[in-house]
Parts: sequence; structure tokens; C-alpha cells
Amino acid sequence: MSETVAGNGGYMIAAYIVTAMILIGYSVLLATRTRKST
Amino acid sequence: MTLAQRGRWITIGALMLLAGIYVRALRFTPVELTQGPAQKIFYLHVPAAWSAMLSMGLVGLASILYLIMKDARLDRFAAASAEVGTVFCCVMLTTGPLWARPIWGTWWTWDARLTLTLMLFFLFIGYQVLRGAVTDPRLRANYAAVVGICGLILLPFIHLSVYLFRTLHPMPIVLKPSAPSLPPEMLVTLLLSFGVFTLLYVGFVIQRYALGEGKSDV
Repeated sequence: MSETVAGNGGYMIAAYIVTAMILIGYSVLLATRTRKST
Repeated sequence: MTLAQRGRWITIGALMLLAGIYVRALRFTPVELTQGPAQKIFYLHVPAAWSAMLSMGLVGLASILYLIMKDARLDRFAAASAEVGTVFCCVMLTTGPLWARPIWGTWWTWDARLTLTLMLFFLFIGYQVLRGAVTDPRLRANYAAVVGICGLILLPFIHLSVYLFRTLHPMPIVLKPSAPSLPPEMLVTLLLSFGVFTLLYVGFVIQRYALGEGKSDV
């Protein structure tokens, strides 16, 4: 008997995209602020 | 190489390693049969929570030391760590509901762990609002230190809330007295992710600290 895996991959993809956006966004923000301050 | 450049390179390296974590988690780590693919949110959510707590823990420790030693560098470090902690808290508070919706059937529930975590986020925000509102640097540092210490006091309650109260949130899997309860492939991915998020924290804080150097209005 084969086991079925829940089809909730959309939530996983959303979480990975949101995390990347937040972390890359903050990296860019820090780089921009550093450039402006020098 | 300046401090800011050093921080930038650490951040770039950590982001590249994070891309590696994405590949490992999505492609090479097995899917958990009960929860399905949504369980893989775990590899981001838990390390983000760790980094947020590390941030607030270090804000609290730097705040205590500041009140004793009155060294402006400690205040500047606390400000940097609080801002970075807010970012990781945002990751934790967005990935958490995205995991909860398919598993618990709800985006949010007002149980002890989630409510205390939201309080941590509000403390991070309050810390920064306070810093922006007080113009006198010494007063600002003193007031902010008190908020930072409140955050430090909150941390053990967040960690122990799953033991102290009935909650939907799972029990700790790694930070517990017994051995971690995860299959080896999943545990390795999680531990690598912990390392990358910690490195990202270091890179962010160094850059943010360097930004505050030479300024009194950090």
C-alpha cells in the first residue's frame, strides 16, 4: 500500500520565498545605508 | 578592510550558504510523511527563531553590561543586535503561520508560545521606537537598556512555555535535555541552517554596528 503525502507544497514555497525576500531585502538596505553614510 | 566591508563579505558568504541550505532542504532532505512538504518550513522557522532569541539575549547582556560599565560601544552593539533581531523575528512570524495553516488548520492561535513570541516582536519594535523618540544619548541608552533587559527576562518564558502551558506548538526537538529526536538527514540540515542563520546574524550585526560608529544618533 502506498502512502500519500499531503499536498501542501505551496505553503513551503511561499515560506522559502518570503524568507529570501526579507533577508536579501535587509542585506540590500544595510548596503545602501552604508553607502549613503560614507 | 573596514568593519562594514568585513560585515558585508560575511553577509554575502552567509547568503550563498543559505542558498545551499535551500538546495539541501528542498532537494536532498526527505519529506516528512505525516506533515508533507510544509514540514520543510521547519529548516527556516526554527533557525530564524534561534537567531531572534540570540539577538534579544545579546541585547539584554549588552544592556546589563552597559548599565554597569557605561561604555557606548555596548549600547551601539545592543542597538545593532535589536534591529537585526527584528528582521529574524519577521522571518519567524511569517514562516510560522505559513507552517501552521496546513498543519493546525489555522494561521494563528493565541496560545502561550505564540503570544509570548509576539510579545518579543513588540519588544524589538518598542526598543527601536524608544531609541528614535529620546534625543539625549545617555538617557536613550539607559532607557533602551531597561527594555533590553526585559527582553532577556522574556526569553526563558518563551522557551519553557510549551512545558508550562497547554499549547499547539511542538516541544523543542534540539534544545532539550535528551538527544535530538530527528532522523539524521533532517538533523544535519537543521544544524547547518542554524549555523548559516548565526553567520547571517554576525554579518548583519557587524554591518549595522559599523553604520552606528561615529554617530551619536544610532
